[in-house]
Amino acid sequence: MKLKSEQHGSVVVIELKGKIMGGPDATLFRDELKKSLDAGVTKVIVDLGKVDWMNSSGLGILIGGLTTVKNAGGEMKLARVTDKIKSLLMITKLVQVFSSYDSVESAIASFSD
Amino acid sequence: MSVKSKLVIPSDPERLVEVDAFAEERIAKLRFTQDQRDDIAISLSEAVNNAILHGNGGDIKKTVTIVLEERSSDLRMEVTDQGDGFAVEEVADPTDPENLLAESGRGLLIIRHLMDEVNVTPGKTGTQVELIKKYSNNT
Repeated sequence: MKLKSEQHGSVVVIELKGKIMGGPDATLFRDELKKSLDAGVTKVIVDLGKVDWMNSSGLGILIGGLTTVKNAGGEMKLARVTDKIKSLLMITKLVQVFSSYDSVESAIASFSD
Repeated sequence: MSVKSKLVIPSDPERLVEVDAFAEERIAKLRFTQDQRDDIAISLSEAVNNAILHGNGGDIKKTVTIVLEERSSDLRMEVTDQGDGFAVEEVADPTDPENLLAESGRGLLIIRHLMDEVNVTPGKTGTQVELIKKYSNNT
């Protein structure tokens, strides 16, 4: 997995890329998230548009992020969820847990609603 | 006739990338769609992750053996750990509302959805998980 983050005003967009299969991926994501939260940025968007696939460890990483951000008083949303990940969210019923948006722009806009 | 390939790794989650590359190279030449290839890769990573973390308890001295068998009508994968075995029926339902925010426990549920056949055989010297993906569905 590769990761890139970019701040848009008060919102941070963390773009994930490649295959998310656990192992070192969790540490990479957790560290990036911590950096934003430590800087006081608690509105987080995870852009999944460039993710080839993820397994249950990947879903666990997202849930861990959701809980961490919530505990810091913030909110984490998903953007550009691919069909493959959508089907995993359906199978696991995690579709009930995450707010998802078709584009990064609409996810950013949702924070000002 | 079938073609078998085998890979043995220590119980280190960082070796998952190597397992994925091993499988990807072999699956690329088989007549699966990209979607089916992703299903296979996801399921194999789940089974190997389970073997490393739950089967072998993360003990790096224990190994996980992966066998891929290309058969005429399907791809059969076998993942074997060296743990004490576990009871599949004791795995909590990850879709139960009280487990929804758990960070783990969804591997088997996902495998069962993505594969055509899944057989878990626990044993005193290790658990063997057999995964089968057939060609017939969309190819």
